[in-house]
Amino acid sequence: MKVKRGNFFSLLVIAAIICSFTLMTPAVGFSAGKPIVIGGSLPLTGAYAETGQWIEKGMRFWADEINSKGGMLGRTVEFKIYDDQSDVGKAVTFAEKAITVDKVDLLFGGYPGTAARAVMPVAEKHKFVYVSMGGHMKSFEQGYTYSFGAPPLMGEWWYEGFFHWLATVPADKRPKRAAVYTINNPVGLSLMDSINRWTKKLNIEIVINEKYNAPLTDATALIVKAKQSRCDILFANGFFPDGVTTMKAAKALGYNPKAIVQGIGSVVPAWVKELGKDGDYVFSGTCLSGQLSYPGNDKLNAYVKKTYNLNEYPLYFGFGYSWMQTLEQAVAGAKVLDQTKIRDWLKANKVNTIAGPMTFDKRGLPEPINFGTQIINGKVELISPKNVQTKEPVYPKPAWEK
Amino acid sequence: MNKYYPAALAILIILLAAFPAIGPEVYYLSFMFSVFMYVILASSWNFIGGYAGYLSFGHAAFFGIGAFATAKMATVFQLPPLLTMLASIPAGGIAALIALIVGYPCLKIRGPYFSVVTLCFAFVVDLAVKNIEYLGGAEGLWMKFMDLPEKTARTIMYEAMLLLMVITLAASWFLGRSRFGTGLTAIRSDEEVAETMAVPTAMLKIKAFVLSAFFPGVAGGLFAYYLGYIHADAVFSINISILIVLMAMFGGGGTWLGPIIGAVILTVVNEGLSTFAQAEIARIIYGGLFIVVTIFMPNGIIDFFRKRGG
Amino acid sequence: MDAVLIFQSLISGIMMGMVYALLGVGFSLTWGVMHVIHISHGAFGLLGAYAAYSLLQYFGVDPIASAAMSVPLLFLMACGLYQLLIRPITRAKNIIMASMILTFGLAIILENIMALIWKADPRVLTPAYSSGALIVGPFYFQYPHLVGFGLSLVGITALYLFLKKTYTGMAVRAAWQQPEAARLYGVNLFQISMITFALAVSTAGAGGICLALLNSFEPHSHNLWLIYLFLVVIVGGVGNVIGTALAGLIIGVITGLSMAFLPFQWVNLVTFGLLMVFLIFRPHGIFKQEGL
Repeated sequence: MKVKRGNFFSLLVIAAIICSFTLMTPAVGFSAGKPIVIGGSLPLTGAYAETGQWIEKGMRFWADEINSKGGMLGRTVEFKIYDDQSDVGKAVTFAEKAITVDKVDLLFGGYPGTAARAVMPVAEKHKFVYVSMGGHMKSFEQGYTYSFGAPPLMGEWWYEGFFHWLATVPADKRPKRAAVYTINNPVGLSLMDSINRWTKKLNIEIVINEKYNAPLTDATALIVKAKQSRCDILFANGFFPDGVTTMKAAKALGYNPKAIVQGIGSVVPAWVKELGKDGDYVFSGTCLSGQLSYPGNDKLNAYVKKTYNLNEYPLYFGFGYSWMQTLEQAVAGAKVLDQTKIRDWLKANKVNTIAGPMTFDKRGLPEPINFGTQIINGKVELISPKNVQTKEPVYPKPAWEK
Repeated sequence: MNKYYPAALAILIILLAAFPAIGPEVYYLSFMFSVFMYVILASSWNFIGGYAGYLSFGHAAFFGIGAFATAKMATVFQLPPLLTMLASIPAGGIAALIALIVGYPCLKIRGPYFSVVTLCFAFVVDLAVKNIEYLGGAEGLWMKFMDLPEKTARTIMYEAMLLLMVITLAASWFLGRSRFGTGLTAIRSDEEVAETMAVPTAMLKIKAFVLSAFFPGVAGGLFAYYLGYIHADAVFSINISILIVLMAMFGGGGTWLGPIIGAVILTVVNEGLSTFAQAEIARIIYGGLFIVVTIFMPNGIIDFFRKRGG
Repeated sequence: MDAVLIFQSLISGIMMGMVYALLGVGFSLTWGVMHVIHISHGAFGLLGAYAAYSLLQYFGVDPIASAAMSVPLLFLMACGLYQLLIRPITRAKNIIMASMILTFGLAIILENIMALIWKADPRVLTPAYSSGALIVGPFYFQYPHLVGFGLSLVGITALYLFLKKTYTGMAVRAAWQQPEAARLYGVNLFQISMITFALAVSTAGAGGICLALLNSFEPHSHNLWLIYLFLVVIVGGVGNVIGTALAGLIIGVITGLSMAFLPFQWVNLVTFGLLMVFLIFRPHGIFKQEGL
């Protein structure tokens, strides 16, 4: 039995060829007149699964809705969603697969920012419109013409709403000393922009300004330092896990600043659900909210109430929906599935989304959109600007309940 | 040894090199690019992990060093596309140099302790890149893309990675058949005995370690350029380090073919599953594959077929 | 530098380190006794955490009680898994390798089953005392830390006494130190391995619950936990119960002190860097010899 190794090798080669053939067959066969296919990848498993799945739900809700209305350009729409397993490299490969193999008609936006940063050049090279949250300001400054943020998740704008409100507080009641703890990644770093601008303007001294790397397993030292330096405002510029650790330590150690401002940890539904009362009175920002009066929001809220028993749709559900709304209007406006025409239409016209009307500049960005939020009694309330305010903010923050 | 074996290999390589000529869609080039990349990673890990039995759990560090060194050179010197790709060679050199420095103290440690030192090393490098602005920082680095049609650009990347793979596999082939390789195998079976038999163990180990860091470094450089935007999380992930080890062991460590088979099967299966099955179910099936293969082929796929084949 | 900060940071570091030790001690045993590197160890810890979460949410069961309940349940489950999955691979030439690949697959499966049952949303274990503290003078002892620390001490001590004082425990040690002799004396190695594996998995469950009291968790969190496991086990010495506990303390002290003295940005880097240096100079962990 000497030839076996060679046999085995040839077997392998054959197997490999068969495998690649199965991969080559586009998963969906379609031609003109068939459904409009929108493709791309989302992190459905792995580290970013939670967010990825909310985006998917928002997109699917949009698709059901538009299909019940007769579809886009008279054709139904369907998704080709790949799971990139929270891997940036896979996000790029799947974007290329959607574009070149599945020959999708439209591309949808991905998550997280690092993946979007890597997919944006792919979309640009293949001349595909890419409507997503982007990867903060830096990614929109790379000169891409096919990328749009509708709305973008823009760390640079995130605290605008909060600071606008804080400016209305009489100067003697404002906090004086800030402790700023920032997660060392693109999201955290981009949050620093508005903090730096506004603390100067409002005469707030940044006493502590530190970064930390994920995972933050213990926040005791952070809180003790802030407490000892008598900081009366805490900026916890982080995600959910580090946000929770920080909040729990703040309560346990009896740290009671006038305000706690949280990055993007408090925007996920789990914040209110899991932390309950301990998650209250946290300030943050948003660019989407079910409490805005723009058309569509009621419908989304009713849907998530019925399906997931949530009072308001989660931010990322809204993102998924809003990106699709933008694409839908662009396609309807351009009247053809030609990417460059869709892009040009978007650059020249206004879209109406659940985050409000938007027009896009050269970078693909709308005017800064931001609303200040505070969690009051387990509900995310809008506090700023005044015309959308749903509740008067609670300030200074009441002491922790024992 | 079958005498047709080398000829078959040569034909396979030529076929792979000619693949872009039949005009496949860009995705296939990209996908094959990633298959080649994992073959390179698993095969070069095999130098130290498979032959010498020193299981490095931090090989993503060298991959990442190569990636960031290339991206950094490209941005600092404003390199044009072709030079950027060539810059991945000195980037691999940097990875190898770091391997030399780190390998010297670390390779004195044996068994699982070595694995964990390398694991720590990968974290240290990852965090150093994130914390030090100059090395890339937490924002990551952008690179200019090729001013060529997308298909041509991807074809160039494909051919470059293929070339690197061929070189890596050739190195692996000769290593497996040289006194160097025999020495490494001796270290794996019993280091003390090898030492008494005048095998220069320290020297061999460090050589193997440096070599096994160089190729991933170059591959990292190409990968960085392929992505266009490089972030520490994308290249230093512990998942990559573990995946490299698993691929090599899955096929069969310490053999030439094992890591190749492991890398190809796992990459293809993973990609295929993501295409055809619901996300979580796909992952469950993928996990099941590891279990089934290990239960039926506890010594790796290669060993199983060799036994069958006699 | 201020004494309160140093003390406070040190206290929470040490308590945290002990929780890692409880999570890691079983990992150390399976590795030492059976030469099985159990990659899904952390995933079982996570399973314990999720079970405790559901019990608290729906039946109001305190996590401490859940920890006690999860031990026998996980024990039984692990016995089954041993027979089904681990036993067949003991014939591999390289058990360490084979077990790593197999349990890596198991970890992926567990992770995704948990994602299907409990969804990908992050969870927080919040019993009534979850963010309270015992205040002694200027010092705060956070309840979750105290509970985790206490449970870890109990768990590790119990395991240690079991191995030192009971017949089965002695058989486990014998099987590890002198497998051939043990067999001659009529020790059933498979049975002993099964018990070791099951014990290990049940301590993982308890450890997972303790860790869940401190941090939020998601289906993929076990990947992160695995890193801590490796660290405590290696620093403590593979198979060494007391060593693992000491390693937890050491890692706690390192993190605690670096949190107090360094900019936070450098804490993780310094921790891993110091561990690397430690391992280079003490390549067999804290103790020179291997032993329980």
